[in-house]
Amino acid sequence: MDEYLVQVLSNIGMISFLALSAYILLITGEISFGQQAFFAIGAYASGIATAMWGWGFWPGLVWGAAAAGAAAFLLAWPTLRMRGLFFAIGTLAFAEMVRLIFEIFRYQVEIDGELVGPNGSEGFRGIRYIFEQDISAFHYMLLIYAVLAGVLALLFVIERTRLGAIWRMLGEDELLAETEGVNRTYYKVLATVVAGAVAGIGGALYAHMNTYLEPKIFNVMLGVHSLAYGLIGGLGTAFGPLIGVGIDIGLLESARIFSGYRMIVFGGLVALLLIFRPRGLLDEAAVHALVAWWRNTFSSPAKRSGGSGRPPERPGA
Amino acid sequence: MIVDFVQNTLDGIFVGSSYSLLAIGFTLIFGVMRRLNLSYGPSIMLGTFAGTLLFVEFEAGLLAVAAATLAGAVLAGVYVERVCFWAIRRGAALASMVSSFAIWMQLEEIVTVVFPDRTYPFPPLADFALEPGPFFVRGDHLVMFACAAAITVLLHLLLYRTRFGLALRAVSRNPAAAAFVGINTGLVLFSAFALASAIGGVAGYLIAAADQQITPFFGLWATFKGLIAMTLGGMGSIPGAIAGGLLLGIIEAHSGWYLGTEYRDLSAYAVLFAFLVFRPGGLFAQRQTLRSQLAARRV
Repeated sequence: MDEYLVQVLSNIGMISFLALSAYILLITGEISFGQQAFFAIGAYASGIATAMWGWGFWPGLVWGAAAAGAAAFLLAWPTLRMRGLFFAIGTLAFAEMVRLIFEIFRYQVEIDGELVGPNGSEGFRGIRYIFEQDISAFHYMLLIYAVLAGVLALLFVIERTRLGAIWRMLGEDELLAETEGVNRTYYKVLATVVAGAVAGIGGALYAHMNTYLEPKIFNVMLGVHSLAYGLIGGLGTAFGPLIGVGIDIGLLESARIFSGYRMIVFGGLVALLLIFRPRGLLDEAAVHALVAWWRNTFSSPAKRSGGSGRPPERPGA
Repeated sequence: MIVDFVQNTLDGIFVGSSYSLLAIGFTLIFGVMRRLNLSYGPSIMLGTFAGTLLFVEFEAGLLAVAAATLAGAVLAGVYVERVCFWAIRRGAALASMVSSFAIWMQLEEIVTVVFPDRTYPFPPLADFALEPGPFFVRGDHLVMFACAAAITVLLHLLLYRTRFGLALRAVSRNPAAAAFVGINTGLVLFSAFALASAIGGVAGYLIAAADQQITPFFGLWATFKGLIAMTLGGMGSIPGAIAGGLLLGIIEAHSGWYLGTEYRDLSAYAVLFAFLVFRPGGLFAQRQTLRSQLAARRV
């Protein structure tokens, strides 16, 4: 496989975790500008684990996700009372604080006569686990997608259970959900923690692919982009954010004809899209229509004759 | 010691007055529309680049540069209003915000395509300084402060002494009722947006003239300084925007001096977070909520 293609696909895979993280909060009705903070925490924690403590890759990944989840748990409490825009700005302030703390965070140990570890704004060099284990870029890409498939599967299971229904209920109308007996605190904190851990996994994968972390890259632009992906792709299913990432990184950043004009095209496209589909390409209505169409077309004839006999719905109708 | 403290406070107030100006435009849009315009800073940035174009290419005078900055900011602001706010139905506040982010990306790229260098010169406005006693005050900072005060007074007169101001406040309080009594809400929203962009243009001009240079990063900077100042003061409140801007300036000046520059932004965000947790209504929260409660009772 072409080296450039592998790199683009790996980037799409890693940013997808961040987009999914923002998506989880979006379906519970919260706009977060701060998911990049958990991406950063996951990246630093797992990098420290493998490069400085000599851990393996998988324990490092789990540790990164756990650290990000724990940070999200801590953030969940003070932000619980913030609604809408306040939540957005609160998470923004939190994420910028995390980034600025990484700018001054120094923790280095000497390994083989070389200082390794986060060194403030100089960044964190030498997360070389993947190199040392001789894993090729192509295999690492497969690994990223395997983990992504796992997270996606988990999200699809969640959406089919009571938990998913409650999250969407809270996103639709918090007050109504509470009058139905939903424990808002519990489910909101849970959503924040799951979203944080998902972003942390992405960060851990990112740290090991790039071998080098710089606090600068975890800026608010990264967070707002990942938020926008869900809204471009649609909030109907977890596929939506992935479509958004694919459109931006896959189509625009990588297609060289747009080089230099990428953002003019991207910006215009997104603005137009939001005018005609304010909840994204694959929004809830589109997903329901697609599912209905699927059932009507592909279910067994016996089942169909026993059904209501209504004509198959067209997608997007 | 005490001299440093006073000097830092003075610096904070003067820098803060530019934050106040940014926050006034921001809060005006938010107060009327109840939606966040992330593209506010970038449209000001586009204006300052229009000003610098005249300066670099044609060696234009101060007035022409100021006019171009203002015109550029208003034009970009109107474009944002049409695409992100007017075209997206009411209620889809989230879509508006993301859309304004998309237009931000677009404006930034347009500027970097036309101006490929990192920084461009901007003509200074008032290159003098005052030294009352042991203190030091820059002339352009004084001008900035005076402009902030003048705009505040003018805006107050406009909002509370004219028919347009009345219509604006009506739309802000209850758009449906305002439309019902015959107010052209679309036009009012459009004018409020243009007005906010013009105030942003003034702010952008003054800040660029004080720095004597501009970069495409100005958009991000202006949006976030304006946003923080607005939130500290209470979203949608004009006196709050002014106080919030000054408070932000003072916090930055002191923390930069006593803790070191790497703690400057960190302390500003920490204070912002603390405000959101303990006092989400901003500095003037008490009075605002009381007044709106009274208003609600009247309805």
